[in-house]
Amino acid sequence: MSTPTESDVPTESRGLLERIRASPFLSELLQSRIAVAGLVIIATMVAVAIYSRVQMLFLAAPEGGLTSLRALSEAVSAGPTPVTDSRLGAGVEDRAPPGWAGAAPLDQQLFGTDQQARDIYSRTLYGAWLALKWGTITVGLSTVAGVGLGIVAAYYGDVTDNVIMRTMDVLLAFPSLLLALALVAIFPEDLGLVRAVAALTLVYTPRFARVVRGAALKVLEDEYIDATVALGAADPRVLVRHILPNCLAPITVQSTLNFGLAIIDLAALSFLGFGAQAGTPSWGLMLSNGVEFGLLSGRWWMSFFPGLFLAVTVLGFNLLGDGMRDALDPRMREAID
Amino acid sequence: MVSKRFVAKRLLLLVPVLFGVATVVFAILHLAPGDPARLIAGQRASREQYRAVREALGLNQPLWRQYLDFLVNAVQFNFGRSYQPGGFGRPVREVIADTLPVTIELAVYGQLIGILIGIPLGILSAVKQDSLTDHATRIGALSGISVPIFWSGPLLILAVATPPLSLFPTSGRIGVGFTPGSDFTRHTGLVTVDTLLSGNLPAFVDAVQHLFLPSLVIGIYSTALISRMMRSSMLEVVRQDYVRTARAKGQGERITLMKHGFRNALIPVVTIIGIQFGTLLGGAVLTETVFGIGGIGTTLVAAISNQNYPVVQGTVLTFALLFTLVNLGVDVTYSYLDPRIDQ
Repeated sequence: MSTPTESDVPTESRGLLERIRASPFLSELLQSRIAVAGLVIIATMVAVAIYSRVQMLFLAAPEGGLTSLRALSEAVSAGPTPVTDSRLGAGVEDRAPPGWAGAAPLDQQLFGTDQQARDIYSRTLYGAWLALKWGTITVGLSTVAGVGLGIVAAYYGDVTDNVIMRTMDVLLAFPSLLLALALVAIFPEDLGLVRAVAALTLVYTPRFARVVRGAALKVLEDEYIDATVALGAADPRVLVRHILPNCLAPITVQSTLNFGLAIIDLAALSFLGFGAQAGTPSWGLMLSNGVEFGLLSGRWWMSFFPGLFLAVTVLGFNLLGDGMRDALDPRMREAID
Repeated sequence: MVSKRFVAKRLLLLVPVLFGVATVVFAILHLAPGDPARLIAGQRASREQYRAVREALGLNQPLWRQYLDFLVNAVQFNFGRSYQPGGFGRPVREVIADTLPVTIELAVYGQLIGILIGIPLGILSAVKQDSLTDHATRIGALSGISVPIFWSGPLLILAVATPPLSLFPTSGRIGVGFTPGSDFTRHTGLVTVDTLLSGNLPAFVDAVQHLFLPSLVIGIYSTALISRMMRSSMLEVVRQDYVRTARAKGQGERITLMKHGFRNALIPVVTIIGIQFGTLLGGAVLTETVFGIGGIGTTLVAAISNQNYPVVQGTVLTFALLFTLVNLGVDVTYSYLDPRIDQ
């Protein structure tokens, strides 16, 4: 960072469009219809997430309309609430079967309501915020940890490499969801989604470490690394300034593919009762609710809508990740399984 | 030919991994909150009773001693007895022996569906590259991977297993009318095999009906993965020189594709089938929960909730062992299909 002799000065002064055109990875990516479709889906979900978050934080619920999430979370703590939709008037609860205060889609709200008369539409939308937020944290943490371990293992080799990678091998010897389940047991229950995130971070880190190590080993074969070392560059400088930037593409692909998986696994842990705490409008918990209260009585909407949003979001990341992998330099493609 | 040295080397490499796996499992459960002795003895137990339970569990020993005991027992596949409030339950080994076949049966049927549909679909997609069929298959496969089992399962139940259709049972693996032990004898623990071996056809049909939806749910996912791999692998192979040579000598396209293309394209597919088996075992936890099937997955989930640590240890180690052995099998098959790997 101290010496401006590096060739990065002209790169940074170039415009964004020019840089995209100059990068074979990005320009090929934008030509892939699959990748663009994925980007569109993800952008839509991000918009949905921000919308529902803003709505929860700043907007009150319109009378008889979509219930705000603040009201929803109050409703959760207060237990089942009587339905107050003006179109239906009073006495909805009387007509509802015992223990069931919900309604079908369009009868009440766009997506119907669940057994506690909570609006599935706004809960599903808010689920996008939770999924993307916790998904980002999970993937971010495991990327940072995995990249650090992978680069260090590749650069120092020998004992360091062996110790790191054999440990990763052990973690990779477990089916991922099962390791996450076992790890969840370590953390106190009141941590909610945080313990699911912590467990999944430990589960995903080895994958990143392996991919990054493979990519870094390829970079290390290049002569400019030898040249940099010969010029007397310190280890951290070589690692961060020279090896890391050249591994960014496979790291990005792995992160994207893993993002979809993280969202599914977070939902799966919540579904099994080891993630989000009761009452949280997370997709996994809503689906478990749907199985418990809607499955045998044919209340399909309880499962359908949250699952649809979940599947479409994951599809978005898988489409983008697939397009990215195709756009990747074949030399690097080998590193990703 | 697979050399014995290769297999022996791979088996030796398993030892440190399994040792690490056992260590991780031991560490996880010693970090977990809660006092098993208190759980078993009960809140009202006297100090003497509590101390007796602690001794019975070996918790009064130093940590290194507990670790050694655990390793020695784990090698013999002995995880003690499961915990129960107020005492000890069944030996963990028995619990695993009862529930593991249930999960394996599901995973195998799911995998079979995946292989039977996924491989032809992948070949079709590759042969008709960039056609409408190809695009539909690819998008279908990507969607199949993106749909979580705990969504496709409930939707299938809602669509065909609940009124008005009610074509399939919604949960369990055999109807209440059939009692294991009296209506059919247990040979393998696989309900479809046991009913057939006992010659009880109605029970067999009932078991198939019960297992159809859960296997299908797993099969959808498996089909998606296998067809993707088959397609890309087939595309890679048909560009090879020997395929061009086969065509040049005037061999029919079908024979070229099947004899030269398919066989070689199968190699990476075998890998994905093996690796995916681990995912299927993990997915079994979810499938079993949705369909109310008491396999090793639901056993693990219940054990974690109840802090039934011996069962958690036993089931997690069993899963890891299975997963590792399947991967070993894949490596060996791989070297059989492609002798170059051996060297």
